[in-house]
Amino acid sequence: MPAAAPFNPEDIANAKYTERPVKEGVTTKKLICAACDIACTVVGEVQKGRVTKVRSSDNPIFRDNICMKGIIAPKGLANPTRILHPMKRVGERGSGEWEQVTWEEAMSDIGSRLKKVIADHGPEAWAVSTSQWNTSTDHGLGRRIMNHVGSPNWISGVALCAGNTAAVNRFTYGWFPFGDFANTKCIVLMGHNPRRHSWTPLYNSIRGAQAKGAKLIVMDPRRSSSAERADIWLPLKVGSDAAMMFGWLKVIIDEELYDKEFVKTWTIGFEDLKKRVDEFPLERVAKLTGCDPEMIAEAARVYATSGPAVIPWTPITDMQRNSTSGIRLQTILRAICGNLDVPGGELLQGFNPDIINESEIEMHHVLSDEQKMKQLGSKDHPAFTYRGQLPFREPTKRVYGQEYANLVMGCHMATPSETFKAMAGEGEYPVKAFFFLGNNPLLSYANMPLIQKAMMNQDLIVAHEQFMTPSAQLADYVLPADSWLERPWLHDMFGWMSTVRFSEKAMDPPGECRSTFEFWKGIAGALDMPDVVPWDTLEDFYDYRVARTGMTWEEIVQTEVHFKKPAFRTYEKNGFATPSGKVELTSSILEDLGFDPLPYFREDPPKDPDYPLMMFTGVREDGFFQTGHRHIPEMRARHPEPEIYLNAKTAAVRGVKEGEWVTVENQLGSIKAKLAIKDAMPDDLVRVPHGWWKPEMQQGVGHLSGALDYGDSQLCRDDADFLDREQGIPHIKGIPCRVVPLVADAPVKAEAKRPVMEPAE
Amino acid sequence: MSLTDKEIRKQERSARLMIWMAARSSRNKTFIDRMCRKLIVRATTVDPEKDFMRDPLIDNDEGFDPDELDRYQRGETA
Repeated sequence: MPAAAPFNPEDIANAKYTERPVKEGVTTKKLICAACDIACTVVGEVQKGRVTKVRSSDNPIFRDNICMKGIIAPKGLANPTRILHPMKRVGERGSGEWEQVTWEEAMSDIGSRLKKVIADHGPEAWAVSTSQWNTSTDHGLGRRIMNHVGSPNWISGVALCAGNTAAVNRFTYGWFPFGDFANTKCIVLMGHNPRRHSWTPLYNSIRGAQAKGAKLIVMDPRRSSSAERADIWLPLKVGSDAAMMFGWLKVIIDEELYDKEFVKTWTIGFEDLKKRVDEFPLERVAKLTGCDPEMIAEAARVYATSGPAVIPWTPITDMQRNSTSGIRLQTILRAICGNLDVPGGELLQGFNPDIINESEIEMHHVLSDEQKMKQLGSKDHPAFTYRGQLPFREPTKRVYGQEYANLVMGCHMATPSETFKAMAGEGEYPVKAFFFLGNNPLLSYANMPLIQKAMMNQDLIVAHEQFMTPSAQLADYVLPADSWLERPWLHDMFGWMSTVRFSEKAMDPPGECRSTFEFWKGIAGALDMPDVVPWDTLEDFYDYRVARTGMTWEEIVQTEVHFKKPAFRTYEKNGFATPSGKVELTSSILEDLGFDPLPYFREDPPKDPDYPLMMFTGVREDGFFQTGHRHIPEMRARHPEPEIYLNAKTAAVRGVKEGEWVTVENQLGSIKAKLAIKDAMPDDLVRVPHGWWKPEMQQGVGHLSGALDYGDSQLCRDDADFLDREQGIPHIKGIPCRVVPLVADAPVKAEAKRPVMEPAE
Repeated sequence: MSLTDKEIRKQERSARLMIWMAARSSRNKTFIDRMCRKLIVRATTVDPEKDFMRDPLIDNDEGFDPDELDRYQRGETA
């Protein structure tokens, strides 16, 4: 990395944006970075057939959208532990005994074994965990094949990160809006903390808006860097976001700060909402949130009166027992304050009509209603399953021109916990084949003990991966995946936004690494349905997707970005994509599903004196994306060990000190971590790092490269008190726990015997 | 929100113009495209001392040597 050690501030002060000249021997490629899920438009510099540098785009609208994970990518993806050839398990599951096979041998055997599972148990016995966000070149092809086979059991991390937000937003106004940061006057961050090296374009947009005078309101128990920059910081109790929004609504409605004309013309259920909001006087909200009532009222007034305002998507309300209510309250604030589909507010962009979108590619219409209703989780937690989303077919067709809108892929998912129960033999029917692509399920969902049991109970597990993750170690086949440097990419923001961007192929993949497109094409062939993926190459597939533009892929990729003609207040023409055509403050669909049609607030269960602290997890560290990047020396130098944060007072009470190894324990499990004292943390709150494992540690069952020592999913409960009712997603923002000094066998030894699978050393 | 309809329509026109300019700027081929790019560069340039995106790690990045990456991939270097 890059960065030469000595740094002269004058160099930066004199830095100016200029288009870079082409260097001798260097060619450039327009790329979209997939080091994380935010997809920055960048430039790859290529020498001797390989990408040697990733830098920010020459296009000023994408300027500076790059972070440390992007610039280290040429080295990170050249890591000698990268999986380069298909591997077949030859010993017991998780034994670490593998043999190299060809792609053809692998696909043939996988096809035979998957057909047997389907014949024995039905097509619903096949589950897949991934997302287009993880793999970039899936484009809904996995769902397309599953729909043709007859399996509805697709799960994804987007179930608790943006996908579920999209699904729940639809209950109120039929689409998932995106903020117009360029024109906004006020931004509200609910626990989200975009930084220079995490969610970089969002950080760039927020700072840019602030520079132009926009107000920033931050709700966060921690004094985050965003909180330090905020005009108002509400240091609320962890997990009390929904209660806080009830307080805002109480002020906004009582003081008549809402958009009366919009409410009268375009909403239903305002009087019922008002009654529910009246259950939350500020004194009660102050007690629930721990914040000063005057400050709550002031924040509400700033949001409602500053001008068009934005409440950007936040992962925080995606991961709480009040998730559905929290997300719904955000939608209600947007709507009644007049921020929907106006410049500076939140835009309901719809699909880009020039591009064949992923929801079309997925072909949900070919899956029978009978199979759709078998989707795991449908019965008890239907919000983002087919059962909860099918009522949008007619309204979505009316407004957006097609029946299925799988926004952020979150609108037709199975529930992860129910799927793992079925895989473990504890569900309503067996699931016996499990594929995961660019995804590390053991560390990405709640309740690792259940997930491990589920995986050990499978007849067939297939992983498509770049590195030997803890989850891949339990597979029957590990197939080598390419990277974003090594193939083109058409990026349509998964239906969230109408802007489409394009990425060139910058170098050949190493070894036998293949794209997700090639993976699914192979699976379609192995299942005797090659016509389901009829395109020969990824480029052919992209030609098909962009044909309506009148350009070929080769032509359009040079344009970098393709905008839809902007439109505002589109609901004036076709209404909203809800059954009533209005903004449904009381949701008719939630009511039909048997749930409260209004948002509500569930308080924490009674405290267990054995677990006096509260923890939250899910936070990204700058050098890592989710469970990835731990193999990159430069990133590990920044975060050598998993660290929990406590403030000094709480640490003193618990008898633990800065730099010591501790265990964090709760009723489900325990993890080991080092302690860092942070005065920005409130009393009795523990920040647990997400997704930790160490690629250098011993692989296989009983070890899983440190995942069993550090993996936070061992603490994430999915019992009823810790699940959102409507969605069935876990509450990971406020889990009771305790922190105790680690006295035995600490620190955890990193030097283990060399894994059998370790390639190239 | 208390904006008048007239004010909202003005903002909508302005927002449409911004997208049009962004599209032309991204294409960057014709005279008008390049002019749009220059205008966007000017409109989005922040004073260096206030530039919140400046970062030594990024600004000093020199990339990698291709032969060094080859050796690294073969496990010959750390």
